[in-house]
Amino acid sequence: MMIKKEGAMTGRTMYRRVAGILLLAGVGLFQGGCATMGEKPKPALVATDKGTVVYEDWYEFKAPMGWKFLREVSGGDFEFGFLKFEKGNFPSQTTFVYDPEPFGSSQDLDTRAKQYCTRFLWNSGILAEVKKQDHVLLWDHPAMMLQLMGENPNRNEKAKSVVYLVKNGDRVISFVITQWRPMDGTFDAEPFERFETFVRSFKFLKKTFYEEIGEKIKKLKG
Amino acid sequence: MDGHQRNLHLYEALNARVLGVSMDDVTTNKYFAQSLWLTFPLLSNTLPWMGKAYGAYSDKPPFLKDGTPQWFGRRTVIIDKKGIVRYIRDDSPNFQEILTFLLKLEEEFKGK
Repeated sequence: MMIKKEGAMTGRTMYRRVAGILLLAGVGLFQGGCATMGEKPKPALVATDKGTVVYEDWYEFKAPMGWKFLREVSGGDFEFGFLKFEKGNFPSQTTFVYDPEPFGSSQDLDTRAKQYCTRFLWNSGILAEVKKQDHVLLWDHPAMMLQLMGENPNRNEKAKSVVYLVKNGDRVISFVITQWRPMDGTFDAEPFERFETFVRSFKFLKKTFYEEIGEKIKKLKG
Repeated sequence: MDGHQRNLHLYEALNARVLGVSMDDVTTNKYFAQSLWLTFPLLSNTLPWMGKAYGAYSDKPPFLKDGTPQWFGRRTVIIDKKGIVRYIRDDSPNFQEILTFLLKLEEEFKGK
């Protein structure tokens, strides 16, 4: 197999991507409406009677009410997430996302955290500093929780993040929240609580692609 | 590239090997590999015959008139055990598609 070197493009400046993502989503909706003429496309998020939502029949979780839903339509830094524009000057907003392919390759959580942090928020020019790092359990899976903070005075912005790197079979998946504020802004704890609720309620409803292909390979090898 | 590194154990289980190719020199590739913790080989093809051979240039010449190199486009090629090119895709690699294709090739090879 021959592969051209990729550009290193795993920075996570979500808010800068929002305009592009929303534009693509808008185009998709418009085209969908033209093509089906009356047949409503299935919504990405379906509410259940348990106070949770189901995303594309794949995952179930408690979603933050009133936040904008984000979906990566072309493959990239996350699969889906939520965004809230907040009071205050630019860039007062919070995003949180589920990313099944966080940067790095190690299956060891300590090593993966080290790899992950080399690219975190790097497109924003913020050197995020790890303030706290703990091994935790999420739905009985080993996980690593990272709290990071950083600032870019030249752009008058600062960011506070929490990252969960979670072992899921032989993969590491991630959940990430980043809150942006101008340098003189104050961070708000409430979105972080919503993020915790989202992460702790998260359930896989189906086997992942990697679980399935792992089983097929095992079967093939006998 | 870190995506390929994440899947390396699956490629190996499917009897596939990964090679990265670029026009960068050996030293540049070495540091690039270190920055992404890559353990598979990166080939330095500074006289870009591989890019030409595998169509990564499309119809453009390898060098502009002023000598500026035309870098490879991003292309994924899968070559089977007989040396036949079986898969070509441009742009970012679709890892799930690649793994599914390699599984199909391995099943084909094993006659299943």
